[in-house]
Amino acid sequence: MIEYLIDGPLWYFSLAVFCIGVLWQLASIVFAKGKTDLSVARGSAGRGAIRNVFSRFMPHREIAPQIRVQVVAGYMFHLGLFALLFFAAPHVLFLEEHLLGFGWTPMPHWAFIVASQFAFLGLIILWLRRMLNPVSRLISTLDDHVAAILTFIVMLTGCLALLEGFTALRLLHRFSVELLLIYFPFSCLMHTFTFIPSRAFTGAWFGRRGIDA
Amino acid sequence: MRIQTLLLLFCLVLPQLSSAAGPPKSQDSPQGVSSINPGADLWREVRQRDGEILEGISQVKSVDSGFLINARGDEWARFRITKLSSYGGIAIAAIFVIVTLLYVVRGKIPIEGGLSGRMVRRFTDYERIVHWTLAIVFLFLAITGLILLLGKSLLLPILGKEVFSLFASASKEGHNLFGPLFLVSLIMMFLSFARRNIYENGDLTWLLKGGGLIGKGHVSGGFFNMGEKTWYWMVILIGFVIAISGLILVSPFFGQGRWIMELSHVVHTIGALILMTVSVGHMYLGSIGSEGALEGMKSGYVDINWADAHHDRWGKVCHDENLIVSAEDYARLQGRKPGDTGELATEQGK
Repeated sequence: MIEYLIDGPLWYFSLAVFCIGVLWQLASIVFAKGKTDLSVARGSAGRGAIRNVFSRFMPHREIAPQIRVQVVAGYMFHLGLFALLFFAAPHVLFLEEHLLGFGWTPMPHWAFIVASQFAFLGLIILWLRRMLNPVSRLISTLDDHVAAILTFIVMLTGCLALLEGFTALRLLHRFSVELLLIYFPFSCLMHTFTFIPSRAFTGAWFGRRGIDA
Repeated sequence: MRIQTLLLLFCLVLPQLSSAAGPPKSQDSPQGVSSINPGADLWREVRQRDGEILEGISQVKSVDSGFLINARGDEWARFRITKLSSYGGIAIAAIFVIVTLLYVVRGKIPIEGGLSGRMVRRFTDYERIVHWTLAIVFLFLAITGLILLLGKSLLLPILGKEVFSLFASASKEGHNLFGPLFLVSLIMMFLSFARRNIYENGDLTWLLKGGGLIGKGHVSGGFFNMGEKTWYWMVILIGFVIAISGLILVSPFFGQGRWIMELSHVVHTIGALILMTVSVGHMYLGSIGSEGALEGMKSGYVDINWADAHHDRWGKVCHDENLIVSAEDYARLQGRKPGDTGELATEQGK
């Protein structure tokens, strides 16, 4: 019964909430009416947008020493998670069989282990910094903590089910993924889709005013 | 009909097989009577019960492939089941009993004069991140490791075979995956704290006075006292032994034989049990056992009275160099409103 629910209706429901929620959020940003900028352009908005999208991948020299741990852990976590999500053999197989109809070469097992180490260590360090740094703690919301913990649970249940020998462990992982999918559109996890448009928007705004930021 | 044919074939072939497998029979020995088990000598050789370890020849070319049966494996398995698991379980249970008794008898060790509210910076954000990363990874490995070590005797009767096998499988995967993280966080810990944990003059006095348990008053200590330094070097040295032996166990494809694997397993388990046992004491003294101690790893600041009481030589440096911040400044640094001293106010009010 539980197996049927998790593999069937709950999976489709969570997928629908995720897709519709993400599209809704993105559409609400795209179609949001802002004030028309009547000022005379002093620079190229497009160039500013592109520059900002790429320049923000590295921290400003002035603040880099203060956030070195955050930057290194951030890259470890995000790159590790990206590799796990799209190149872990069970995920590639799942995407091929259940969603896309085609697959690609998965990463070898040793690479999977390394990627998961990076992702786990990065996430633990990032969450600890959020908790231990007074400024980070002050600006963190419940949403930030829930998102971090939920992501950790998804990663952990996935790794515990690595042997693929127990249905219960696989179901536990899939159930945690479904919770994450439902939570995703209404949380800070939306930065997965909004971080590039957000950078581009800010960059365009600065670029049009001729600000070198 | 088919069964009858098979039985007939079996009867015809069996005498041929037994004559081929058994030793040549003497013409004088009575037919149908044999006092010696023909396989006994063979299996004695295979099990190498005479003590002489013989290596045979095999088409499979790998480490230990010449041994049909690893006779030492029995000894290792018995040692694991009867000694490691039992004594390990007793050690873990004993430390919890000791800590509970200590808390019941002594309670939380107070600071003379209480907390002042004036604070001094003890650890940076990075140092605390390193400490808690190691702590989280260690706790995860300890729990999963104990499930693997003691689960069969403690959890299996309660959970049943199906649920326990699920727990054991998940623990094994999680343990193997988090193991390398322990090594990484151990290296981070070594690089961050090694310099301040080098032994110096005065540390031996701390040891001789049992850290204050023998005699009256607190014993003099620097930034870290002798007990903390010893715990640190235990974590680093035993931790590295555990990590290396764990990597040997989890990577059996580097040509290490059974003997090295067995030794690694025993060393890994004993080292882990020592660290787990002492860590319970460390957790107790760093939290509910000693007033004001946890604040150092939570906020990075400790009360100056705590520093004077437990680390007087470092406390003196803080006084001399005027490193003390007021309760109001501390509240502001922690993102609280001025005047709101948070937990400190609660503790002072007690």
